[in-house]
Amino acid sequence: MSAAGLDKASRAAGIDKTGRAAGELPSEIKNTPIRRRVTDLDHAGGDTGAMQVFASLRDANVVLDGPVGCHVMPAVAVINYTDSLPYLQNVTCSELSETEVTLAGTLGVLKEKVAAAAADGKQVFIVSTPVSELIGATWTTEHIHEKGSALFFDSHSLDDDEWRARDRALLFLWAHRDHFIERGTSTPPRTSTRPLVNIVGPTYGNFNSYSDLAEIKRLIAGIGAEVNLVYPFESSAHDTARLADAAATVVMYREYGSSLAHEVGLPTFFAPIGLEPTTRFLRDLGAVLGLEDDVAAFIAREKTETLAAWHDIWRSTHSDFFANAPVAIVAPPTYKDGLTYYLGEELGLPVAFSAYRTGPQSAPSDEVRDALRGLSPAPMLVLGSINERMILAQEALPSRFLQCSFPGAVVRRATGTPFVGYAGALWLLQCVCETLFDVLFANLPTSAAPPERASVPTKDLLRDAPSVAAANGKGQNSITTWTDEAKALAELTVKRVPFFVRVSVNKKLRAEAEKLAARRGSAVDAAIVREVTARYSPRN
Amino acid sequence: MCPAFGAVRNLLRMEDAMPIVISSGDGCLYGHTFVAHFYVANRPVHSPGVSSEIWAKGSAFDELRSMVCDMAERHEPAIIPICSLCVSDTVGLPFDLLPKQIGNTEVIYVPLPAYSVHTHARAKDIVVDSLVWRLPPQRKARSGVNLIGEIFPSDPIAIDELLRRMGTHVNTHVPGPRWADYVAMVDGALNAPLHPFYSESVKRMRAKQGLPFVEGAPVGIDGTYRWITAIGAALALDEATVERVAQQERALVREAIDGQRLDGLTFMVAGYEGHEFLLVRLLIEAGAAVPFLSTAVNANPLAREEERWLRERGCTVLYSANFADEIAALTHRPYDCVIGTTPLCAHAKELGIPSIYYTNAIATRSLMLAAGAADVLSLVNQTVRAKARYERIARFFAADENKLERSATSWAPTIDLTTHLLASQAT
Repeated sequence: MSAAGLDKASRAAGIDKTGRAAGELPSEIKNTPIRRRVTDLDHAGGDTGAMQVFASLRDANVVLDGPVGCHVMPAVAVINYTDSLPYLQNVTCSELSETEVTLAGTLGVLKEKVAAAAADGKQVFIVSTPVSELIGATWTTEHIHEKGSALFFDSHSLDDDEWRARDRALLFLWAHRDHFIERGTSTPPRTSTRPLVNIVGPTYGNFNSYSDLAEIKRLIAGIGAEVNLVYPFESSAHDTARLADAAATVVMYREYGSSLAHEVGLPTFFAPIGLEPTTRFLRDLGAVLGLEDDVAAFIAREKTETLAAWHDIWRSTHSDFFANAPVAIVAPPTYKDGLTYYLGEELGLPVAFSAYRTGPQSAPSDEVRDALRGLSPAPMLVLGSINERMILAQEALPSRFLQCSFPGAVVRRATGTPFVGYAGALWLLQCVCETLFDVLFANLPTSAAPPERASVPTKDLLRDAPSVAAANGKGQNSITTWTDEAKALAELTVKRVPFFVRVSVNKKLRAEAEKLAARRGSAVDAAIVREVTARYSPRN
Repeated sequence: MCPAFGAVRNLLRMEDAMPIVISSGDGCLYGHTFVAHFYVANRPVHSPGVSSEIWAKGSAFDELRSMVCDMAERHEPAIIPICSLCVSDTVGLPFDLLPKQIGNTEVIYVPLPAYSVHTHARAKDIVVDSLVWRLPPQRKARSGVNLIGEIFPSDPIAIDELLRRMGTHVNTHVPGPRWADYVAMVDGALNAPLHPFYSESVKRMRAKQGLPFVEGAPVGIDGTYRWITAIGAALALDEATVERVAQQERALVREAIDGQRLDGLTFMVAGYEGHEFLLVRLLIEAGAAVPFLSTAVNANPLAREEERWLRERGCTVLYSANFADEIAALTHRPYDCVIGTTPLCAHAKELGIPSIYYTNAIATRSLMLAAGAADVLSLVNQTVRAKARYERIARFFAADENKLERSATSWAPTIDLTTHLLASQAT
């Protein structure tokens, strides 16, 4: 019988105790399509995603069944620049060499590694990699049915993206919840009478999750509920069955975890991005938990605390610029949709372009490049990954950049940069305003410090004034000539910057270009305009 | 870091190359792309898409071929290196069927299955070997020295200046940023592999080029003198001039080292770049004790001379380094400084030992001649002097501030490698 065919009661009682025969529960998450050609791949594969789930458990050791690169790349090199961890201390690898790949198979070396990984009393998870899948390696020993023995997870590393693999790995843990034995690292059971809430996600390698998690915890505590488990990030494998103890589940990100929440079968909510979505989230969650009054009191208190700053900024002149400060957003679905709604609908920044980073509708890197290059004006701010940052630099676009997605090396361990909840709304608002100020500063019309030297006294200027006008032939002041090409180019340049700095940019461009032309004794031509523009382009 | 990345890194840094990375899967490609964009190059990484279906149908090769043709036509790069990682090499795509040249573009297959490449050093060796193998035979009019090995950008200039004082010069330096740097090798009179891991390239160059070789590098007091005189001998330069230059340089290095002594200090060095041999030379000449050198490099003929020199000075070389042993080696011995991998340094810092990550801190500096010695030893001195800072932080984070312990790692045993090695040296 397939897991999907089980009724809720049998599911709650646990599917096939040994786990293996049960196979896998079906994941609701859709894969990122596999394309014929790839430029600057923006998501990891199934082996990485599965590793990031299992390694998040406190009582787990993970053995990747693959060559050394499959271990050190995700668990030593990349993790250092996504999670700022020197390396994952509970991940190891079967270190396949030529002998295993071509002759012996992986079981021999794998047994040794699994025994070593089990030596400190941890639950061992074996994760397949492309090489082991290619040679059809699995885990077949006489101990596989023993409780607490090593579990093999087929990560579908050749086909599944990291998100779907995370979703499937979480389902796998739930399906095996009776397999795990107490290892002395379980979260102590709750004794309070407050309603309990699960938080599903994050795992390692998830952009900004430390701050987002802190905010969701703050919101749950704020309305008088209590966190049951933060799963898998602050839990043990042995805690898995306790997911059923809560009254509701909050799934941090839509990219993974919702299938698990579905199986657990409790009312499920997603972490909200934006002001109204957060209010709605709190009210809906409160209604399920019977905490309506606490929610109302919390929201009232937030308006005078966390959100007081939000309201102050909103009432300031800062927000007057929003309608003319376009943004572009490229991120996984949760952030892409959340930011599009919050920045676009609530704050009123025009969203000039947005694309999914992952999932069935994700945009390949070259499409994002073409889109960004084609925007006029260029967005004031591009929220994305290092891929977008590189595009901005390579195409010399005048946009500012804010990272909102992996890939891209970053440190996000301080918990003051959430995107979700009220604190997230405030943090993002602050980021937008700082970008505005940054753009304003870069486009101040004059930067003559020290001032230009007066080479001619006023009386000489007065004496020459009539002849300057005469030489110009226009009967008025001295006007430097611009070639048609230069005029067109200047117009284009001005159009590419956000509206709110166009006057400044126009003034500055004219002043600098004419200064250069005077020095060269020529009219302002296209080359001069290009030179001046290049001088003020931001370096991304 | 995946061993193959040693090659991907060098090829992505070639400005007239357009590498294609045939990954094993998205996990693999994501890792390579992530790290490449972090510190190698602000440029796209191109790959054919792969999946179990694509591998099963063999359609990856058709896509690869059309990709190569498109890229050659559209961008006309000097070379398109085809970096074939684990799965494509296991599957055995028929790379022989790719065109060798398209217009002015050379298409070069670079086999990089990580399960048999094992180390960064070996991957770099494969790059040089694959590219140099494409060159025509050595030409008749030969002069100057071909420098082989990644060195600090100003090193070839300093070495060229030195060689000119003896009547020769640097002909070219590989791995370089352009295909032309490799092509120029056909006019060199001598090959100088500066690091002891270009063993496969050297083997095939010996077979094909018929040039003399000088191993080692102008690093440290002994090393500088020996390298300069060996170059002189191999090219039959004027002996008196060579001797004079060698002595001058040796004196300068000695002076630089004397300004940065490390007497009485014990170091642990673990490297996978391949020039850790040279670093340890400098440390030892500056008076430090280095009980062992853990290196990712395999034992090979090029390393023999370096190993002998180190062994005579109390340093055992452990080839094909094992991370677990390195971490275990930290257990009891009071090291004054650790230079090694990220995990090793992370544990050293837990124990309050000043430490630096080899790749980021050391590999980006010159080691050569007097300037290199002064530069790298000043960094080491600076680090060692920060002992108090490392210790304060370690005590703050320790469960018991009087007993600093390293945290558990699933794969690092608790045997004490250092004590074991010292005991075996004593007997």
